[in-house]
Parts: sequence; C-alpha cells; structure tokens
Amino acid sequence: MPQTMTEKILARASGRASVKAGDDIVAKPDFVIAYDFPGYTDVFFKETREEFGVDKVARPERFVLFIDHMVPAAAPKEEELHKMTRAWGKAQGVPVHEREGIGHQVSAELGYATPGAFAVHFDGHVSQLGAFGTYAFGARKGVLEAFVGETMALTVPPTVKVEIVGKLQPGVMARDVFHHMVRVMGPSSCAFKVVELCGPVIDEMSIEGRQTICGQAMFLGATTMLIAPDAKTLDYVRGRSKIALEPVFPDPDAVYETEVRIDVSSLSPIVVVPPSPANTRDLMDYVGIEVHTGYLGSCASGRLEDLRAAADVLRGRRIKPGFQLHVVPTSQAIMAQAANEGLIGCLVEAGAFISSPSCDYCFGKIATMADGQRAVSTGTLNTPGRMGSVDSEIYICNAAVVAASALEGCIADPRPYLAQAATAAGGPK
Amino acid sequence: MSLANLQGRVAWIFEEDDFDIDLIVGVRNIKITDLNELVAVTMSDYDPGFATAVKKGDLLVGGKNFGYGHPHYPAMRAMRHLGISGVIAESFSPGFFRGEISMGFPLATCPGIRAAVQRWDEVQVDWAKGQATNLRTGQALPLQPLSSAERGTLEAGGLVPYLKTRLAAQAQAVGST
Repeated sequence: MPQTMTEKILARASGRASVKAGDDIVAKPDFVIAYDFPGYTDVFFKETREEFGVDKVARPERFVLFIDHMVPAAAPKEEELHKMTRAWGKAQGVPVHEREGIGHQVSAELGYATPGAFAVHFDGHVSQLGAFGTYAFGARKGVLEAFVGETMALTVPPTVKVEIVGKLQPGVMARDVFHHMVRVMGPSSCAFKVVELCGPVIDEMSIEGRQTICGQAMFLGATTMLIAPDAKTLDYVRGRSKIALEPVFPDPDAVYETEVRIDVSSLSPIVVVPPSPANTRDLMDYVGIEVHTGYLGSCASGRLEDLRAAADVLRGRRIKPGFQLHVVPTSQAIMAQAANEGLIGCLVEAGAFISSPSCDYCFGKIATMADGQRAVSTGTLNTPGRMGSVDSEIYICNAAVVAASALEGCIADPRPYLAQAATAAGGPK
Repeated sequence: MSLANLQGRVAWIFEEDDFDIDLIVGVRNIKITDLNELVAVTMSDYDPGFATAVKKGDLLVGGKNFGYGHPHYPAMRAMRHLGISGVIAESFSPGFFRGEISMGFPLATCPGIRAAVQRWDEVQVDWAKGQATNLRTGQALPLQPLSSAERGTLEAGGLVPYLKTRLAAQAQAVGST
C-alpha cells in the first residue's frame, strides 16, 4: 500500500506493516524531548511518580531535557525549577543540556533529529525536527503518556502535500516563505493534519531555512511538518544520529488529503502584523512605520544564515541612536561559528546587543517593551504583550528586515543594503 | 460512562477568528500559577466585572481557530476556577484543543454558533444528540463529533485518570491471557 512519510514512520513506531490516515494506533516514540517550564516538566515529574507510581522511567535513553527558558535565572524560584530538572535527570539517567542553546535547535545538533524517527515533546515548535525527516509531534500534556510508559496512543493524521516552486528573489528568506504559506493556505488550513513539504525551492534551501519553516507548522494548524531527507540532510545527520534508522521517503503514489503548489518567484519580503501570526502582509506596505526595538533570534530564526544576512546589512554601518537591537544566536554552536566568521564583531560594531542563547527574549521575559513601543522581530509570535506591555506591538519579519529597520529606526527594506553587500563581495549572491 | 451534557449561560463571546487565549489573562501573566492571582487578572482587558458576573456552569463561545498562537494553560485554569464549564467554538486550534481536552475541559466544535447566540443566552450542549441548542431561540446546531480518545479523556475527567483507566485495562488484558 502506498504511504506518506508520516504513515511509514508511524507504522514502524507502532509495529505495523502499514497504517493509513484515520487509524487509531499505539506507537512508541523514539525520543521524548522537553524543556523545563513551570506547569509542564515539574508536573510531569510529579504525576509520573505520584499518580502512576513510576519511580524510574523506562528506557531513559529515549529522553532528553533542555534548560533554555529562564536562562540565566532571574529569580530564586526559576533556579529552583532548574535544580529540580537537573536532579530529576540525574536520578533517572536522563541527559539535561543546559545553556547550550534553544532545545529545538540543540536537539538537531545532538542527533535527536534522526530521519525516520518519531519524537514527542509538549511544545509544538519541535516540529522543526521535521526538516530532517523526523516525525516530531508537540503533544502538549499528552507527552505525559510517554513518561508513564513507552507508548502513546494517537490517530494517524492525514497529510497535506505542499510543493514550493519557482525561484526566491534576493532578500527573500525562509521566514518569508513560511508566512506566505500561511497567507495563501490560511492559519487553520492544516488543522489536525501533517504537512509534507517539497519542491525545488525546498531542495535548494539550506537545512537552516528548512528548520525555520518546519518549526512553525502550528501556525498553519498542522500537527507537524516533514521534508524528505536529501544529501544535505544525510550529510548533517551523519555521525550525529542517536539511533540507526533507515531514512523514510514518501511513496510516489502516496495518498494526500490535499496537494498545494505555491510559486514563490514573485514573493517579496513579508511582515506579519499584530495581533496574530495569521496576518501576513507585504513588507513594502509597512515601510516607514517607526520601530524602537529589534529582536533577531528564537527557535524560528537566529541561525547562521540569519546572522549573515543581518551582518551583510549592518557591516560598516551603525544602528540608529536609541534603537535597541538584540541579537541572540539560537545555539552556542551557532554563536561560536558566527564568532569564527567575524559576524559577532560586525554586529557589535554596528551597535547590536548580543546575548548568549536563551528563549527569554522571545516571550518578553527580558528586553521587555513599554507602552507604545514597537518591535521588529524574528521571534515566533506577535500577540500583544508577548514582548512586554500589551500596548506594545510586534512586527514579525526576516533577519535582514530586522537589521535594516535597526539602521533606519523604522520598518525598512533590506534589499538595497543586501545588493550593496553583494556588489562589495564581488557579484550577486 | 457517558459524557455529561453542558448547560449554562454564554458568559462571553470571543468574536474574533484566530483568538489567542493568552490574552484572557494577559501574556505578561502566563507564568502565574496561583489561582487567586490569575483570577484577579482574568478578562481585565475585556470586562473588569467578568469574575463577579459569571456563575458555575457558564460557557464561553469562540470563533474559528479558537486558541491560535501559543495556548498556555493559565487562561482556562482561571476560567474553570470561575465556574466556566466549557467552550463552544466555530473551530479550535489543534494545540489548544489537545491541551484542554487533556485537562478534562469540554470543548464543543459547532460551526454557526457565533452568530446563533448573544451574551447571557442559555445554551445546552447535548453530546449524545451531537448538538448545541440556544434555549432562548430554540435554534439547534450540529456538533462535530469527538474521537473515541477525546471522548474517553473527557469522560474520565482528563488525561491522568484516562491513562490510569487504560493502563488498568491493559494490565487486566495481559493478566487474563
């Protein structure tokens, strides 16, 4: 029977020859991933022990925990939570990775993004492991089932195939492609479904760009998003993968619920205007709006190609006096590489405030805005209050737009700066 | 076991599509775990008198894709504490839907509900009949069915008791073979 990637992965994980959309199955997650956050991990640890009498989780090698929120701790009770997480990891034989970066990125660096694997988390942004052909599901409270036992009951979701065709114009990044998908398809178009993403634009795209797109599957309503592995994927995971699995590819005659084809040849940079990630607009219609702060980071952006694009815009220039530009590389590995490439120096010289990796800028825990302020941001969300006062505004855009806006103090088009950088580097990029 | 029907007044209609429920308590308050603190900020940006106006059994009504964004738990924890017994919406965002069903909080998907009710109308959700009825107007609208796991979770009162029931059934099945 022809199958989608999702069906193949969930068939293996449930010990069946095949499954199809709509089947109720009991599957064994290969990986159980979480970061510590009040009301989530602390509750899972407690309920696992007190409600189910499970003192030691089965097969602790399935688990990995990250400390990436509330980093560094700003109050004793935050550090208490981290202490509890470290202690639980030690007692259970579960690795706890701390201050290495945002867990969804570090998971990939450490090899939990194994092509063909089934991974679960409580947080939906884990879908970015789908960039490597991993079925990564943010089950919210449902992840408790994988703490208590080795299995999880679920219904096989139908798959929407999305093919991205054409050729991206200079200055248009993966971030723009994703939010354009939301604009074309609708914010609930893939509710309770999986997206299988493919097409020449995805083939050409970097691993980082694919992580950016897959990580935001939830804003299409999707359960997760996957890309079939290619040579780039297999190069990345070689020597990293935590378990040996055959990569999984969709059958050519797999049954999709819907097939969508989006041509991005004429796509220009976008901006997602408040109050919701459903509001994709053309950047050029918002150029000139005064902004006061910029955030370049998060699990959705903040990777090397984002930092390079920002550096191309900012090299040899200074951001507007009084503008606050926060640059937060997504992981320590990315930050170190950025330093090696001279990107950190370039950004600092331009006036950027550089932070070690942390999730805290994305939800306004630090660098919070006051009433009436506006941000350009590569963070995940633009809900009012997400980055401070409920009377502040967040405009989501790509990393180059954040950088250009930092120079001008208003929402700005990065393409003239990028064109200059390309000329200086000896030809178009 | 059968799922208890819901009946109560429409305490609030969230008219907008893609509504981010964190706004109910304010995003700045999503790390608050103390229920009294949470209730004090609940709906303060919408109706400061909300907490005193609602009574046990009241319902919320939402638009399409209700719960879009990053749906954290505090908003509905606070609503339950105030007596809200469930949400009826045009449709739900999956992350919100999964999360709240796991908490044992009834969510009814009912296309057409937003236009069919006014604030404080008495509404009934009948799971067996698969319909929501506005008791003021008599208008009945069909519900989208729950999956067996969703229904089982709600009947048990949440994921923890549901998992316990399932694990006990599995143990019994293993013991009897």
